[in-house]
Amino acid sequence: MTALWILLLPALGMVVPLLTAKWGRNGCTLMTALAPLAALLVLLQATPSVFQAIPIVSTFEWVPILGLSVSFHLDGLGYLFGLLILGIGLLVILYARYYLSDRDNMGRFYAYLIFFMSAMLGVVLSNNVVQLWFFWELTSISSFLLISFWSHKSDARKGARMALTVTGAGGLALLAALLLMADVTGTYEVRELLQQGDVLRASDYYTVIVVLFLLGAFTKSAQFPFHFWLPHAMAAPTPVSAYLHSATMVKAGVFLMARFYPALSGTELWFVIVSLTGMITMLVGAYLALFKHDLKGLLAYSTISHLGLITLLLGLNTQLAAIAAVFHIINHAVFKASLFMAAGIIDHESGTRDMRKLNGLFKYMPYTATLAMVAAASMAGVPLMNGFLSKEMMFAETLTQETLGALSWWIPVLATLAGALGVAYSLRFMHDVFFNGEPIDLPRTPHEPPRFMRVPVEFLVVLCVFVGIIPQFMVGDLLAAASLAVLQHELPYYSLSLWHGFNLPLLMSVVAVIGGAVLYWHRRHLFHFYGQFADRDAKQIFEGAVQALQTAMVAVNHWLDNASLQRFMFLLVLLALILAASPLLHLHETVGTQPQLALNWVVGLAAMLLIVATLLTVWWSHRRLLALIALSVVGLIVSISFAYFSAPDLALTQLSVEVATIILFLLALFFLPQSSPVIDSPFKIIVRDLGVAALFGSVIGTLCYVMLTRPLTSISAFFLENSVPGGGGTNVVNVILVDFRGFDTLGEITVLGIAALGIYKLLARIPLYMPTTDSKGHRWSQDRHPVLLALVSQSLLPLALLVSAYIFLRGHNLPGGGFIAGLITAVALVQQYVAHGVDWMKGRIVFNYQAIIAAGLLIATMTGVGSMAFGREFLTTWFDYVSWPIVGKFEIASALIFDLGVYLTVVGATLLILANLGKLTTTERLRAGEG
Amino acid sequence: MNVLAIPLLIPLFAGALSLALWRSTRWQRVIAVLATASLLVSSIVLLQAVLQDGYVVLHTAQWAAPFGITLVADLLAAIMVVLTGIIAFVIAIYSLAATPAGHEKFGYYPLLHLLLAGVVGSFITGDLFNLFVWFEVMLLASFALLTLGGERAQMEGAIKYVTLNLFSSAIFLMAVGLLYGMVGTLNMADLAQKIAQVEDQGMITVVAMLFLISFGIKAAAFPLFFWLPASYHTPQVAVSALFAGLLTKVGVYALFRVFTLIFVHDVAYTHTILLWIAALTMLTGVLGAAAQFEFRRILSFHIVSQIGYMLLGLALFTPLAIIGGVFYIMHHILVKTALFLVSGISYRLLGSYELRDLGGLYRKKPLLAILFLIPALSLAGIPPLSGFFAKFIVLRAGIEAEAYVVTGIALLVGLLTMYSMIKIWAEVFWKATPEHTHEQKPLTDAVVDRGHWPLYVPIMILGCGTLLIGFYGQPIFVLAEQAAAQLLNPQGYIDAVLGVQP
Repeated sequence: MTALWILLLPALGMVVPLLTAKWGRNGCTLMTALAPLAALLVLLQATPSVFQAIPIVSTFEWVPILGLSVSFHLDGLGYLFGLLILGIGLLVILYARYYLSDRDNMGRFYAYLIFFMSAMLGVVLSNNVVQLWFFWELTSISSFLLISFWSHKSDARKGARMALTVTGAGGLALLAALLLMADVTGTYEVRELLQQGDVLRASDYYTVIVVLFLLGAFTKSAQFPFHFWLPHAMAAPTPVSAYLHSATMVKAGVFLMARFYPALSGTELWFVIVSLTGMITMLVGAYLALFKHDLKGLLAYSTISHLGLITLLLGLNTQLAAIAAVFHIINHAVFKASLFMAAGIIDHESGTRDMRKLNGLFKYMPYTATLAMVAAASMAGVPLMNGFLSKEMMFAETLTQETLGALSWWIPVLATLAGALGVAYSLRFMHDVFFNGEPIDLPRTPHEPPRFMRVPVEFLVVLCVFVGIIPQFMVGDLLAAASLAVLQHELPYYSLSLWHGFNLPLLMSVVAVIGGAVLYWHRRHLFHFYGQFADRDAKQIFEGAVQALQTAMVAVNHWLDNASLQRFMFLLVLLALILAASPLLHLHETVGTQPQLALNWVVGLAAMLLIVATLLTVWWSHRRLLALIALSVVGLIVSISFAYFSAPDLALTQLSVEVATIILFLLALFFLPQSSPVIDSPFKIIVRDLGVAALFGSVIGTLCYVMLTRPLTSISAFFLENSVPGGGGTNVVNVILVDFRGFDTLGEITVLGIAALGIYKLLARIPLYMPTTDSKGHRWSQDRHPVLLALVSQSLLPLALLVSAYIFLRGHNLPGGGFIAGLITAVALVQQYVAHGVDWMKGRIVFNYQAIIAAGLLIATMTGVGSMAFGREFLTTWFDYVSWPIVGKFEIASALIFDLGVYLTVVGATLLILANLGKLTTTERLRAGEG
Repeated sequence: MNVLAIPLLIPLFAGALSLALWRSTRWQRVIAVLATASLLVSSIVLLQAVLQDGYVVLHTAQWAAPFGITLVADLLAAIMVVLTGIIAFVIAIYSLAATPAGHEKFGYYPLLHLLLAGVVGSFITGDLFNLFVWFEVMLLASFALLTLGGERAQMEGAIKYVTLNLFSSAIFLMAVGLLYGMVGTLNMADLAQKIAQVEDQGMITVVAMLFLISFGIKAAAFPLFFWLPASYHTPQVAVSALFAGLLTKVGVYALFRVFTLIFVHDVAYTHTILLWIAALTMLTGVLGAAAQFEFRRILSFHIVSQIGYMLLGLALFTPLAIIGGVFYIMHHILVKTALFLVSGISYRLLGSYELRDLGGLYRKKPLLAILFLIPALSLAGIPPLSGFFAKFIVLRAGIEAEAYVVTGIALLVGLLTMYSMIKIWAEVFWKATPEHTHEQKPLTDAVVDRGHWPLYVPIMILGCGTLLIGFYGQPIFVLAEQAAAQLLNPQGYIDAVLGVQP
């Protein structure tokens, strides 16, 4: 449980600052510190077992099937990082108490900080790769929140965004790498993975894994060329910079490399990528650090350089180098955190971080200055400081390299050069800020900070010195335990001590110090040299790249989606054509074995008419009335063909639908121009569209032909056999509609009802006025309600209603049914509207059409539900025959009630549409139009 | 009693009843909440029944399959119905505060119910033609809802919406006709059984492609998705949230259904095409989003992109991949609805959906900021939120299936999604409220404005959903696993519908 508690305590402590923010700054700080302190104690209590290399693992199932478990382990490496995270974290909490001003939301700041702390602890303690990745991403997010803590500042927002984008992208690469590793080795456990290094190295995916893995690590640890986000993350409050962006979060990348060192390192590929990247980063970081005028900027680039150093060591492929890397992780965290805090103090007390203004501060804050200079000396690698020890180990390791063949001597030379640059910028930090004349118009007169703001710095600086002088005593066990975890087997001999005698590494150190001093002395020339190059701001480049991406996206998007329906349809049909046609290419037999009916002149004529009418519809599509007439011919022939192939029911339905539709169209056309504007598409577009349409049509035609010429056994016979005994009706079509597939009908009448509602709504607000002429200027007839029409239609009404009732009643056994009856009723009523006008009808028929639709739907639904009340399935019908006097034997069927629902819905829906279209022609609207 | 029809009957009945109460919006509101709540309850009852029996089958009108229309709920269908219940309920609550009076007067609530009936009908039907019918119910109801309000942009969007979707319907109908002409049945289980007997399997592939196109349009897959971003940002927000959550998923569901049950005769061909469609859908969707600066349009393009992930699950066609697809659907419905609802509140507060007019919500409305952040991070796939699992499973399935290119695209799309969410976050929440916006309506200091609770509660429910799936992933995963197992073993479905054949 130990490993879990170390993480859980801070995680629970996340809410503490939010709750205690009201208690004042001291109270809040104190309470916030409790949880990390407790976690630190738990960690320290585990020290003996960690140093004896007894693994501490706690595992809980999460989604075990997926290989996802919650699993923590504490080994030397995790212990070392835990110590850094919690120890420096506590110091930062104390420091931030004084750093933050009253305007800052302290509770929120601490909450984010503890959030980060938990996430980072999660990274170092995770024993499951997915879980590790999860915490890895959380560190990115918490860093995002912390960088943008002053979210009103634009560079804070931009810096945060850049950091998240870069580390987030790396995170995804890392996820891919981890998943691949798990796929290759078959385990998600870190501890097990580490044992499978040989399997991984032998795998085909080793290269991919390493590249993706390193992408993740390099982005997080700000390695060249991904280093640019780190300086911009300095927009964060300084405690954040000290904690996340020097001591801990940026170390996550090197942590990861160290963690998976046994599994992935040991190949040429690893060596070349890691060491070269480290070397370049170290040089570039050190070089750029020298020229930063911003105190934190200098430290940021210095951090990059030191991270490069650690990466270089991890890439050197010797065991001693790995140990040196671990050692430098400790040392760098200690001196860099103290330097950042010192920089924060200077900024806090003098109001600026610009080294061109900050001069001679020693006079104003001698104590802080001394501390800062000691830490800077450690950064430079001056003897007696901890930085010196690990740097010298690095020098020693560079001397043993042979990978570059005859040019291997480059490695130590370049390392020394980087060392010299390091000395130079450290000198600049010391000399420029604390001496070098008088300060130049500072916003505030600097003085020593509050007592306790200095405590964290003092503590860390003391550590620097002690580790530097008595290393074996201070960190010997810790280093051994952590190195053991990295190497996973017995450690080679190494000696931690200040003095190793006169040797080559010492000479390199001396050269570096002297060279650095010389470089600093001649900095004027260097600055001049540097000034010749245009200052390329990573933020501008990054934002520019983002903008460019944005522009490119807009362009691509516009190309694909130009908001033209024509284009959409074209793409659609094209895709349909490609997908449907390509399998057809492999089909050799077009004509099947089904015997075909002989062609007679009736069928031939109808087919000819159908084709001609269809073509005319298309041809006349711009002249609406003509197109409509052609369309009605199509409908008519379809109806006739239904009748010809002995489907009178379908024919009747089709016919009544045709009638209703054409009336609708005519009503709509009344308000529209008689011809639609000819769209002047370019000729090639017309050809293109025509071609695609014709091809697609031919594909569908072929499909139908292939399908129809093949024999078929279908379920149709069942319907014929069971219509009377099972459905109680001789009209199979109707029995299918209300019984076999009554469920479809229920859906269809719903569709009809919705359509009516939709059209009603669309028409309700249309500001249309009755046209007095058509679009060509011909006046419409003034005789709006011809007497003859009124008379005839009025006298026809009862007859029509009677017919519809007859059709309705006989529907179950003979052609007819609710749908057709409904349409007949509707058309008869619409005729009255046409003949008499809306006003006349309004006085006579007070219908709420919505209510009729509702009633129809309800009746149909309830008929279905009713059968459930009798213990039957939904929509089950019931019928029986009763003998009435005079009438004789008569059938009663529940299907009839269902059909009544259909009838009502059809009447309601059709009338709602037609009557409302008709309503647009009322006289009030006409007057409104004229007035 | 068979519980299968209840989740369909409730919205159908509620729709008809609301229609009958046309004049009384007050009663319609009451019915809306009651009906959606009972829809949710009945859907959970259904899920339990399915969990118990494996499949729940209802032969309507007591005609044995394949002759009548059979309703079938397997786990996937039951899960979808439950999700419909959840979304319906939260949308109903949200609508109480968000629906303009003019919309209520013109049948907002009846249409809402009927739309839900169409959605549920599509999920539980076991008949291919019946699926068409419910698709039509859905299409017309959604079209009518889209045009409520009748603004110019709405009409433009609605016309594209309805044209392209009618094209989809036409292809669907054609495909059903062709299939019936070849196999002679409409019952999906029966089709699955008889399709192997068809001599020309090439013809089946052609029909499969027609279904792919038809459902692909519904699901907004590449390059058939254009209607979606053209229309989803135009109606009032409860409507777009409902559409965003549910409608495209019906298309995805239909694809899952036919491409696991019926068209598995030539997986190497059909599912490879699906794979590339999935990859391009992911990519074009997310790239399209990067080009947008309107809150709901960004989200709309992300729907497209996320559809790609679901299709990827189907296309890889391994057990794990199908699980991933199912999981993704579940996650996405909750999250995407929540995001649209958040956009509605920000519109309420600042009067715009344009990012440049928005800002300052982080300081003034921290609760809203959190309610945005949870689904946004979930969408981007940040653990431990539901989106992480969804992505993780699909990615892992991709790696195991050795589909590296597509997996790489999926990873990249994840990053771009993150970028998009950050863009919204930075513009809407971080940035100070722009001057010109401020002049109209200053933000109040209240965490939740008076009368806005019905707007917040639904988002909280959905947010809890994504958190719950994240922290308590195992049971949901097991559920998805069982659903996937059923999908990959169509014989169970066939036997449940047709009875075990000797």
